[in-house]
Amino acid sequence: VIGVHEYSIVSELITLVEAEARRRGAEKVHRVVVKLGARSGVERTLFTTAFETFRERTICDGASLELELTSGAELLLQRVEIEVADV
Amino acid sequence: MCKECGCGDRELVSVELGVRILTRNERVARHNREHFAQAGVTAINLMGSPGSGKTAVLEALAKTFMGRRTIAAVSGDLATDNDAQRLRAAGIPSNAITTGEACHLDADMVHRALHDLPWSTSDYFFIENVGNLVCPAIYDLGQAANVVALSVTEGVDKPIKYPVMFRAAELVLLTKCDLLPYLPEISVRAVFDSLAQVMPEPRMISLSAKTGEGMQRLEDWLETKRAAQRPR
Repeated sequence: VIGVHEYSIVSELITLVEAEARRRGAEKVHRVVVKLGARSGVERTLFTTAFETFRERTICDGASLELELTSGAELLLQRVEIEVADV
Repeated sequence: MCKECGCGDRELVSVELGVRILTRNERVARHNREHFAQAGVTAINLMGSPGSGKTAVLEALAKTFMGRRTIAAVSGDLATDNDAQRLRAAGIPSNAITTGEACHLDADMVHRALHDLPWSTSDYFFIENVGNLVCPAIYDLGQAANVVALSVTEGVDKPIKYPVMFRAAELVLLTKCDLLPYLPEISVRAVFDSLAQVMPEPRMISLSAKTGEGMQRLEDWLETKRAAQRPR
């Protein structure tokens, strides 16, 4: 059972990215940057695996995940790089 | 950019967000916390390994309170409502939250469970979390305090092996202390020392649900917590 919460956290993450992309009319997400603290309770390998599994068939399909590791307890969606139509 | 055929250039935009990933859970937890505060109910998130004695502590607590205080509870497990049945048999109105695959309770599961239970007339509401020393620690449920049950048979170094859980705890219950005579290698002092390495303010009560040892101290701690939470 250990580690399953990484999956539910990634699904929350993708929901947040989808909402942001929709708000800005983006069709593609290139990069998702997450700030992940050593004391956050989230294991980074499992988190990455969960992201690679869950991004399929979402707006994050093909997006890369970048982790900014800290020593604190942060668990933040720090930044997204999205592709928008140049108006 | 060409509007006729839709062949406009694409632009790569970087958006700074800095938003907490568990923000939705935290919003529901705040909502639960408001419910508890308005009803004057002290909510406790009781965590610990499977088999650490969480249900037995609640059964014993119902006896200790002897009708002076009322308890309601929900208990989370992957399957079965065995714990809820045990709690009801001990006179504690309670429901099971069966999580299926999930290794923890989240604020939404607790919120839904509140709708089917007469929790608001009780003094204490216990959320007996899924037995697990990892995942439940990072989900706020709206509780007033986190309490972790750790049984003497789990060994003295669990706190340093699972620091996230014990760091989040306000109180640790060292359960099954009636077994200590059979466990010469386990010392209460050593468990406390290992807790002190991870808990900012280490606080531990040695207890036995079987003999009642430590139950009065648990009641006193809960009452202090309750008094601190009540509106002035």
